[in-house]
Amino acid sequence: MQCKDFEAVLEQEGLAPLPLAAKSHLAQCSACQNLFADLSVLVSAAQQLPAEMNPPQRLWVSLRAQMEREGLIKQPMAVAEEKAHWWQALTTLFKPRVLVTAGAALALAFAAFLTFHRSPMGVTNRSTPAPSVAQVPPPVQPNGVRPSSSGSPIPVPDPAPQAIASAKPRANPKPPAIQHFKPSPSDNVYASFPVALQDVEPNVNGPSLRGSVEADASLRENLRVINAVIAECRKHLKKYPNDTMAREYLASAYRQKAELVATILDSGRSEQ
Amino acid sequence: MCASSAIAGTTLGGIRRIRNTSSAAIGLLARQRPTEPVAWTEAEAIRRAQAGDAAAFEHLFQLHSRRVYALCLRMVGNPADAEDLAQEAFLQLFRKIATFRGESAFSTWLHRMTVNVVLMRLRKKSLPTDSLEESLEPDSESTGPKRDVGAPDLRLSGAVDRVNLERSIEKLPPGYRTVFILHDVQGYEHNEIADIMGCSVGNSKSQLHKARTRLRELLQEEIREQARQERHAAKTQTGSLD
Repeated sequence: MQCKDFEAVLEQEGLAPLPLAAKSHLAQCSACQNLFADLSVLVSAAQQLPAEMNPPQRLWVSLRAQMEREGLIKQPMAVAEEKAHWWQALTTLFKPRVLVTAGAALALAFAAFLTFHRSPMGVTNRSTPAPSVAQVPPPVQPNGVRPSSSGSPIPVPDPAPQAIASAKPRANPKPPAIQHFKPSPSDNVYASFPVALQDVEPNVNGPSLRGSVEADASLRENLRVINAVIAECRKHLKKYPNDTMAREYLASAYRQKAELVATILDSGRSEQ
Repeated sequence: MCASSAIAGTTLGGIRRIRNTSSAAIGLLARQRPTEPVAWTEAEAIRRAQAGDAAAFEHLFQLHSRRVYALCLRMVGNPADAEDLAQEAFLQLFRKIATFRGESAFSTWLHRMTVNVVLMRLRKKSLPTDSLEESLEPDSESTGPKRDVGAPDLRLSGAVDRVNLERSIEKLPPGYRTVFILHDVQGYEHNEIADIMGCSVGNSKSQLHKARTRLRELLQEEIREQARQERHAAKTQTGSLD
């Protein structure tokens, strides 16, 4: 067998187990050994590249908008709504500012009424320190009032603003460190990103996040992969500091890491 | 040209290598949306999409978008263009979905559209590479392994990292690049690639081999260039010390 024949075998059979004749040629020919070894390295490296990548969410949004314009979608899309807790539904009542103000005014008026309507001992009680029961308030009942020691209800402060704030966990802004990650290509990305990310990364290694265990594991695995990519790029850049493409890869990896860390932190917060 | 019914009824996922999807971290610019899992089979989703059901369209999109986007991104090397191309491919697919009769696997059909959209774009852009027609033509004058007489023996072992590999892939002519990505990165078999590319299995094998050998040359050039830069840097450093 000649080198030409060996290459024809490689072309037809790939790097799969070679026929005997090709193997015996390979044992004797150093050039073909080099070729075979190089192609094996190359294919193995290519198989390590990601076969799938998540497209940005806006891709579906934009595609769907275009489909609607073209009339491809024939019925309204059923949006899967997350089940909300009953108190989250209540917060919608307090969204208009007028209702919040009115509610707060009513609560204050009711509290004042109760204070002055109590027994005459109220005057002496005012001068005494608050009882220990008051320091550790009893649990709030479902109707929004806290039982007093005497059994009469004591109104609690209007929870509406807090409830509104807590009812929007997904709208939480990203951590301040991440919000500033809008580097231009000219920025020294591997000076600013790692420092900022190091500040928030310890928080990521907390307990299991909201959602399934698989999603949690997947997010952490993604983080591990991105860290590996960053390490590889940095290693490459140490050797070849003028490699602009490697810089771009590194910048992109840091941006993705920032997104991922933000996702993980958001998930963690929404469980709290 | 081979018939598009070569792999009728097969599911590509069954043949294709299952890769660790954690590698999808690259490109993880989008947050994972907590959508309700839909328990449709692909066939059911296709049937519903043919009736214009938006949820079915989204289901199909979620099933295939990662792979389609990855293919586009590797082909054009630019996320904005890749998004554009992926959207165009899905749009073409959904426009024609009513005509899908299941003669070939759905994902093959989708990938064929994607490859066509991408190659069309590359033709329009007329990148400074070999013409697609040339690169798709099997080269009859195949000789033995290319050797650099007098050049140092550049073995790729230990010298190939992700960065220089991706850069070299981007330098491949579009035809070679498509076959290489589909086979060696995405794990498609030659019969599937033949179906996607509209060529024979033999042609697909030939293209792949040429892509690999060309890639080897490109990587060797990269290594030489890097060695040259290192020498230059060392010389400059020595000069500045003197």
